[in-house]
Amino acid sequence: MAIILKTIPHLLAWSVIVLVSFRGFTGRRSVVTLSSISGLIIGVSGSCILFRSFPGAIPFGIIKSILGLSFLLLWGVSVASGYSNAVRGEAFCRSKQFFQSSICAGTVTGIISMVAGAVSVCALPVTGISALSMVFLALSSALIAYFIVYAVRFIEKRLPESFMVSPLGMVVSVVSLLLFSSSSILRLDLFSPLSMKVMKGIHDFVHQFMESILIPDHLFVRPIVWKYIGFLFGNGVGFWGAMVIWFAPVFLIITAFLSERLPSVAHIRQGAQRRTLLAAAVTLRRCRLVMPLLSILIFAAAAYQSSYPSVEYWDPKPLAVTASQAGEIFIPKKGEINLEDGKLHKYLFKKGDKEARFFVLKGPAGQLTVDLDACAICKPDGYGQTEGTVICYYCKTLIPLETVGKPGGCNPVPVQFTEKADGVIIDAITLINSWGATVQATARVKEGGK
Amino acid sequence: MSENIIETSGLTRNYGDICALKPLELKVPEGEWLSVMGHSGSGKSTFMNLVGGLDRPSAGSLKVGGEDLLALTEDGLARFRRKFVGIIFQQHHMVPYLTAVENVMLAQYFHSVPDEAEARSALERVGLGHRLKNRPGELSGGEQQRVCIARAIINSPKLLLGDEPTGNLDHKSTVMIMELLKELRAEERFTVIMVTHNQEVAAWGDRTIYLDDGVLVREERMGEKQ
Amino acid sequence: MKRLLQTFLIVGSSRAIAPVVIGLFFLFYIGIAFFTDETLIALMAFTRKSIILAAILSLIPLSCGVRILQETVVFMKRRRSLSGKSVDSLPELFDETVELPVSPFMSELEGRLIGVGYKTRRSLNTLAAWRGISLFPARMLFLTATCCLFTGILISVTSRTSDRRMVIEGESMPMPDGTGGTVERITLANSSGSILAKTLTMEIAPSNSGQGKKTFGLYPPALYGGSFVYPRYLGLAVLLRFSAPDLQAGYDTHCSLNTYPPGKEDNVVIPGSPYRIVLSVPIPAANSERYVSYMSGKINLLFKVLKGKEVLFSGSVPAGGEFMRDGYRLALPDVRRLVITDFIGDYGVLLIWAAGLIFATAVSLWLPIRLFFPRREMLLSFEPDLIRSCSRSEGRARTHAGVFHEVLDLVDARKV
Repeated sequence: MAIILKTIPHLLAWSVIVLVSFRGFTGRRSVVTLSSISGLIIGVSGSCILFRSFPGAIPFGIIKSILGLSFLLLWGVSVASGYSNAVRGEAFCRSKQFFQSSICAGTVTGIISMVAGAVSVCALPVTGISALSMVFLALSSALIAYFIVYAVRFIEKRLPESFMVSPLGMVVSVVSLLLFSSSSILRLDLFSPLSMKVMKGIHDFVHQFMESILIPDHLFVRPIVWKYIGFLFGNGVGFWGAMVIWFAPVFLIITAFLSERLPSVAHIRQGAQRRTLLAAAVTLRRCRLVMPLLSILIFAAAAYQSSYPSVEYWDPKPLAVTASQAGEIFIPKKGEINLEDGKLHKYLFKKGDKEARFFVLKGPAGQLTVDLDACAICKPDGYGQTEGTVICYYCKTLIPLETVGKPGGCNPVPVQFTEKADGVIIDAITLINSWGATVQATARVKEGGK
Repeated sequence: MSENIIETSGLTRNYGDICALKPLELKVPEGEWLSVMGHSGSGKSTFMNLVGGLDRPSAGSLKVGGEDLLALTEDGLARFRRKFVGIIFQQHHMVPYLTAVENVMLAQYFHSVPDEAEARSALERVGLGHRLKNRPGELSGGEQQRVCIARAIINSPKLLLGDEPTGNLDHKSTVMIMELLKELRAEERFTVIMVTHNQEVAAWGDRTIYLDDGVLVREERMGEKQ
Repeated sequence: MKRLLQTFLIVGSSRAIAPVVIGLFFLFYIGIAFFTDETLIALMAFTRKSIILAAILSLIPLSCGVRILQETVVFMKRRRSLSGKSVDSLPELFDETVELPVSPFMSELEGRLIGVGYKTRRSLNTLAAWRGISLFPARMLFLTATCCLFTGILISVTSRTSDRRMVIEGESMPMPDGTGGTVERITLANSSGSILAKTLTMEIAPSNSGQGKKTFGLYPPALYGGSFVYPRYLGLAVLLRFSAPDLQAGYDTHCSLNTYPPGKEDNVVIPGSPYRIVLSVPIPAANSERYVSYMSGKINLLFKVLKGKEVLFSGSVPAGGEFMRDGYRLALPDVRRLVITDFIGDYGVLLIWAAGLIFATAVSLWLPIRLFFPRREMLLSFEPDLIRSCSRSEGRARTHAGVFHEVLDLVDARKV
């Protein structure tokens, strides 16, 4: 029952996508109906096959890439809409005819439904799904799709005519709904990884920019000025930068609509008639703004879901450990804690006023790894473990368990250790130094140092 | 022969037990100036309100400009008024804190979109080019009524309704207003329904109908005045 | 050939070029981000090495150049038509054009337009009216700035050289060919500027190669021997003498210490011995100037002498002074100020600076004009029994359109 409940938000998002498609492809109801239903079934079955054929991370990666591409497509379309306005939208007029064709309607709704289907499947525990379950899932999806599409048709007929969906409105609303749907699935979420990349990108850019135009270092700059520059190296810059990238396409589209030239009415010699035409154009523009405006809410909901995911992490309280006279920390494999249970086990080592937090984890390949509970980039908020991944609490980046123990990016910083038959041995000085260096480096970044 | 802009058949309006307008059969050809006369309570204003889509009949049929007003929803009726009808009241009903040109633009706003140049031009047509920025309180009665005329014609209505438009004006101003309306009608070719109890004003029309106690009692066709 | 040139002009002047190129680089950036964390640096390195990428990037300044030409031509044509010298290809020059089959009555129209605030010019068969200021200069500045910016970026990315050296007081300016003049004085002082808190000046004596006396500040960095002198960090050049019971011969070394800001440690390793000396500048008391030692030249260095991992002793020694204990001797007979400086060979920077200034000028022109005095134009050209009316606006389009429609209504009302 809980599994079925998990798919409800995704099916709801898909229902709205179908509704938008009906309004977007006016006069293509049967094509949209058919391609939506078949698209969903193909998406569900296809992703099941993917999950049966490849290990967990790959299907997620493929579907996430498709979602990423859809977001890039939205960016492309939004920029093009702004520019086409500058040349009076001639290109769009030509493409509008193609957009309304049944081939386009069928293909577009089919692909969208496939992606929506694939995303819905990711909400289910499908890794290593049996053939029988796969068939059952495909059949259920067909049945559900049939009912949903006909329910949506019923609702759509009763909606006011002023609820119109332009091609741009359709792109923006469909992408926002797909991203909303995926943002609740940790391994498909785009917003958090985007925040992380943006933070790194902005740090790099500001650093390169200042070096490029030969701006003096913070040593010479007034602290108050550096405080403003320091915002770009600060904690929130990744989030706010990602927010800008996340919402910019919608606002670009809205701006494109608002800056569209009104029709020329100079050839009409009656003022009231001229104004009627202009008013009709203004009203049409307002109607077309409805979907982009609603999409802002959907994008916001997606960003919120991503920032506050409703997932419970395995995050044990760090266990205090001490070093031997020789300066070695020994952690037994068996005992109160079983190091080889595949779960993340956190420890805290204190020496004087210094301390270091680290964890031991046995990866899917059967190798033990010891890592700091911090990465080389973010504030050391630590990691939690969820299905197949650990997550950086600070930037919400998911690190597949397979790559934990490798350095770089937001991966936990690996610590050298010696594995014995009965446990692992870590050099206390190395641990303290490694923690100190990592935390100091990430703190310096945030203070705006270069 | 021009088409009828107004056609009524058995047009009735009751207010509770009171029958304000008894079954009325009337046809008004497009472009005609029809004066409606009668004493107070004779049903003149009721008739005008029905024709202008401000009120709904109790029975009968009413077609204005080919539109069956009984079949229209409230929204449809509002659209009809916006597109089709201009009204001049005895009381000017202008927004006191807006200038003359802004008052005219307000009518444009409710019709479609405002256009200052056109509003200014309309006021110049009614001879108020020099009073554009004056507020109603700074205008004389005749000037205010001319602003009302500009406001009524700004959306190029097919039907101009006047409810005692000169009721508050002196003789000289009345003549000026009527002359102005005559000129504008010649240019814009709209139909005028003028409700009045002033015989002199009624005489500016092509035809006069007389209502008494909600019944059309008499009809007179006028010769050209002046 | 003419056709080819025309095609080049059409493609080159397309407004799509800049977003397409930027989008393409953005996609490269995303692609690279999958493989490395140093994405921007990697992208810059790729662009530096790849002629194709550099060529793609160069499309932006090229396109800006072509647009400047094209928009200037259109602007000049429109000026000519408004001055009544030519009425060719009017529809392309304006936003909208309407033809009315009527005869002219210019004086009335002119009066009308003057009455609503337009300036007019009449010629034999045209009546031009306009008000406001054209955004053309701001637009040209914007295009020029974009052109400069991307040319600067292109030059910078593909040809920048950077050479980090120590500029030491009393030594020659460290030019690669050894022709630098002597660094006479390095001065660090507090500044009352709104952006910079400090001024750093390096006074260089005339060199043998004919360079005159030069003084370098912080910003904007000046050129010396074809490279920008870009001061990065402060440090000390020290002559260090050290002897120990098991190192009786003693050891002299000239070393550069990167010890600023105060508290930062740098160390000197005595080669062939287990000794290492860690030096730092003491942190001044709270609320006092952090760089007072560098500013005044009164330098007192904290030190720790280490033998292997063991700290033998620590203490402080002033510039020109010495410290002795248990057969150990540490002396600093010569301590001078040094500036760790990058010598940057990159003329693209000049273009990027210029672009910044031009952008600022363009925006400060564009904003008030667009808000308060946008250009609105109309042109009525009279042919026998025909008036061709053209209109365009760079702002307040609805109000201008109202006037234009009014003029057309007036013309139309006069038709017989």
